[in-house]
Amino acid sequence: MSECIVVTSGKGGVGKTTTSANLGVALALLGKKVVVVDADIGLRNLDVILGLENRIVYDLVHVVEGECRLKQALIRDKRADGLFLLPAAQTRDKNAVTPDQMRELVGRLKENHDIILVDCPAGIEQGFKNAVAGADRAVIVTTPEVSAIRDADRIIGMVEAAELPEPRLIINRFRPKMVEAGDMMNKEDILEILAIPLLGVVPDHEDIIVSANRGIPVVFDENSIVGEAFRRVARRIAGETDVPELEFDQDNGMWSTLMRWMGLGPAREVAR
Amino acid sequence: MKEIINRFLGRGAQASKEDAKQRLKFLLIHDQVDLTPGQLDQMKTEILEVIARYVEVEADENSEFKLEKGEDHVALVSSIPVRRVVQRAKAS
Repeated sequence: MSECIVVTSGKGGVGKTTTSANLGVALALLGKKVVVVDADIGLRNLDVILGLENRIVYDLVHVVEGECRLKQALIRDKRADGLFLLPAAQTRDKNAVTPDQMRELVGRLKENHDIILVDCPAGIEQGFKNAVAGADRAVIVTTPEVSAIRDADRIIGMVEAAELPEPRLIINRFRPKMVEAGDMMNKEDILEILAIPLLGVVPDHEDIIVSANRGIPVVFDENSIVGEAFRRVARRIAGETDVPELEFDQDNGMWSTLMRWMGLGPAREVAR
Repeated sequence: MKEIINRFLGRGAQASKEDAKQRLKFLLIHDQVDLTPGQLDQMKTEILEVIARYVEVEADENSEFKLEKGEDHVALVSSIPVRRVVQRAKAS
């Protein structure tokens, strides 16, 4: 059965597009037929993160307005079998599409694909309403910051108001060393406040910048810890229930070693 | 424990995540009831005015007036020490 998942956050800049791109690739690598939909009309970006920007001819608005067939607008990612991108229009605005049109579009995409991942724009206006319209469930992306968590809380309420099932959370830009120093909220702190199930924790890492520079999502890199974090989230989305928690490497400096030796844990910050 | 040792050694002297948590909890409660801290203050002043017609209450610093988050509700919690009952309230 096909399913449409919206990736949303409320606040901008927390990593929605990076998350959408990487989960799309990771799910395709798991053998799923995936379409990632860029719902940020007017501010197209998912194509760039995926490195597919040079192949766009038609976009989502063209499809909705009947100027091309759906198939013509879908860009096949040659690096990951089964992955397609439906790009946003760059020169239109969010009002170019209605929630009803999005619902119909998602319905058509479901005919040939297992998972439709919708990258939601920041904000709570029309763009959000469009992105959520066709969704069966939602994934909330947040970072361990007061502003991002506040907005995530608001978005969780709006997802519930849209009568979607309980959303699940991805904590992005996690910095184990800062958590250890008491200068960043940890997984438990955030879950206590937001009170929704956790899909995974993704560490803040230079690999993300490098992969965005190159247009090669980090999940393609088998040795990347961030790639591994996204791969595990994807497996949980695909329904695997026994995916182990990811352990972040701690620095092995004298202090950490001494603390560990003294038994003054946590030796490792375990993230799920 | 580690936090304490860290502090003792002058590392991470201020665990800023506690600030973050407290500010966040405060924000979310006020967001939920759509009442700004300023409005809450105003309400407190007005309620105290009414109470003062009946009983003599302690000065501001001893009274408590805040929003608290419960399981699925927000409660207005207030504790206002009473000095003595005002005579005319008794009479009426």
